[in-house]
Amino acid sequence: MTGELVVKDVYVTVGTEQILNGVNLVVRPGTVHAIMGPNGSGKSTLANTIAGHPGYTVTSGEIWYQGQNILELEPDERSKLGIFLAFQYPVAVPGVTVANFLRAALNAHRAVEGTDPKETAVPIPEFRTMLREGMQRLEMDQAFARRYLNDGFSGGEKKRLEILQMSMLKPGLAVLDETDSGLDIDALRIVANGVNSLMALTAQSAPNARMSALVITHYQRLLNYIKPDVVSIMMDGRVVREGGPELALELEEKGYDWIRGEVVAHGE
Amino acid sequence: MDTHLNHPFPPLQALTSAHLEAAARANGEPEWLVQRRKDAWECFSHAAPPEWRRTNLKGLEPETIEPFAAPQGTGILWDETLAERGIIFSSLTAAVRSHESQVRATLGTAIDPLRHKFSALRAALWQDGIFLFVPDNVSLDIPLRVCYILADGSRAIFPYSLVVLGRGAKVAFIEEFTSHDAPAPALAAPTTEIFLGEGSSLQFASIQQWGANVYHIGGQSQVFDRDATSTWVSIALGGQVQHIEAEAHLRGAGSSLTWHGATFARKQQRLLTAPLLRHTGVHTESHLDFRTIVHESGYSVFDGMITIEHASRGTVTRLEEHSIHLSPGARSDSIPGLKIDTNDVAQAGHASTSGQIDEEQLFYMQSRGISRADAMRMIVTGFFEPVFDALPLEEVRESLSAAVEANL
Repeated sequence: MTGELVVKDVYVTVGTEQILNGVNLVVRPGTVHAIMGPNGSGKSTLANTIAGHPGYTVTSGEIWYQGQNILELEPDERSKLGIFLAFQYPVAVPGVTVANFLRAALNAHRAVEGTDPKETAVPIPEFRTMLREGMQRLEMDQAFARRYLNDGFSGGEKKRLEILQMSMLKPGLAVLDETDSGLDIDALRIVANGVNSLMALTAQSAPNARMSALVITHYQRLLNYIKPDVVSIMMDGRVVREGGPELALELEEKGYDWIRGEVVAHGE
Repeated sequence: MDTHLNHPFPPLQALTSAHLEAAARANGEPEWLVQRRKDAWECFSHAAPPEWRRTNLKGLEPETIEPFAAPQGTGILWDETLAERGIIFSSLTAAVRSHESQVRATLGTAIDPLRHKFSALRAALWQDGIFLFVPDNVSLDIPLRVCYILADGSRAIFPYSLVVLGRGAKVAFIEEFTSHDAPAPALAAPTTEIFLGEGSSLQFASIQQWGANVYHIGGQSQVFDRDATSTWVSIALGGQVQHIEAEAHLRGAGSSLTWHGATFARKQQRLLTAPLLRHTGVHTESHLDFRTIVHESGYSVFDGMITIEHASRGTVTRLEEHSIHLSPGARSDSIPGLKIDTNDVAQAGHASTSGQIDEEQLFYMQSRGISRADAMRMIVTGFFEPVFDALPLEEVRESLSAAVEANL
């Protein structure tokens, strides 16, 4: 299926260090797929590799999405294919306002090869309405739009802005990299609502291209708000267990040492 | 002596004091001005060239330059009905006749014409120029502009801006320098003297956009009376070589300056700005933010000095410099200096950054679908944004952003 993300036996190095040791994973359209694991297990490396961070070198394996091996694509091409990464640490870009950045991103998505970008660009009044409504849904102050991108933002403000970007770009696959870290319960609820409502929206409006979410988290907490269909557990750069939502609860109860013990016991 | 107004002087190597005197008299200039030109020329003729370690004038061949004996390109943009409010905004040559005593009292008093060879040359040869006077308590919303244009075929221009703000006056003033690419090396040597009266407020922008092959050797000075405030924007985009000595003298109690600089050096450009910021008054305040982008084989220099002098008390000053290198062959030097000659300083801070465009910023923007080239353009124009944002006119802001983007 074209809307599937298929990660096939992927090995990744950062600098001289090997971080991913043969990751296999399938994210089906319309599903929430959680990835849990202890610090250093390779969760964020996987997220950055899917989005195409130049610092992560794929030494072997393939990642397929929309019928393409996306490892050959630049990060912006992957974005236009429908992949969105909500950053664990969103980057500040002083001098570039939130509004200008979002408009540039939207217009890049709307651009059609061989057509003047001015013709496909979102009309400014329409853009303003989209932005205003998106910010209202996430309970963000309208003054945000004129601030420089992530510059001097609090942790919670940065995460909301990630979700705002996601809701405007409407990706086919959202990768949420520890979006819950540093959020209080209220912010967590708002962020989770943002993800859930976008998924519900695409389920209605685009039943053949339903959005899926790859939710990377250290804690079960976020999964109370975004219900996973599948839970994968990563350890030492590989997926070591896969199951339903009950796996997250079991993990929460027994801790990561339990998984580690199981993996050793099975000689994996 | 055969000197016609609109004909050039003989080349610098053959020019004499007598040529200058004849032209000045033919122009109807008063005796004091004739004498000043002659004194300045005398200084120029005998002074050794200044020893500037980072400014190379080898390609200029100044001795063959034939200066103009009359203004060649002073474009004044303003609403002439403002004259009814007592504002004077005219060519400097006209002001010498119409407002002689005011011009005489200020001209050449902020920048010593005999400081070095080039300040002397400027004082001897200026023709283009403006006099701007804003009376006490007169406040203007619309910026006043002068555009100095090097005429095609001309190899030298010596513009002179003389600006005097009365008590409590408020104005925005923009001076722009522009030309086509010069076929032969040309010298642009402007002088800008600005006097801020008590409690006055100025927004000043100096925008250097010469074409290729122009050597800009400029002097600028702002002198602050009590409680005067100024926002100063220095933009350097054009020319082959730039050497600007820019001075702010915060001598009045409670005076303050915010100074923004944007320099973009590319190809073989060598652009130097040397700000000197003197704190001599009580409770004066300055904030400097200089931003530089170097590209291709461009080279830029920030040679700044802040002095907190003996007479001052409770000075607050903060200097920030930031530079981005877009190509491996591009270079920038920064030589910030601070001299303190008093025990009473409230605050003196300095911060600087230098490096390439952050790959993490590029990745972040690309991950939203923006191409690498567009992301770079946005980051670079964003880098200059705080500087352009301080410009008093939207259309100038936009044209500068476009000029920067076009050269990336």
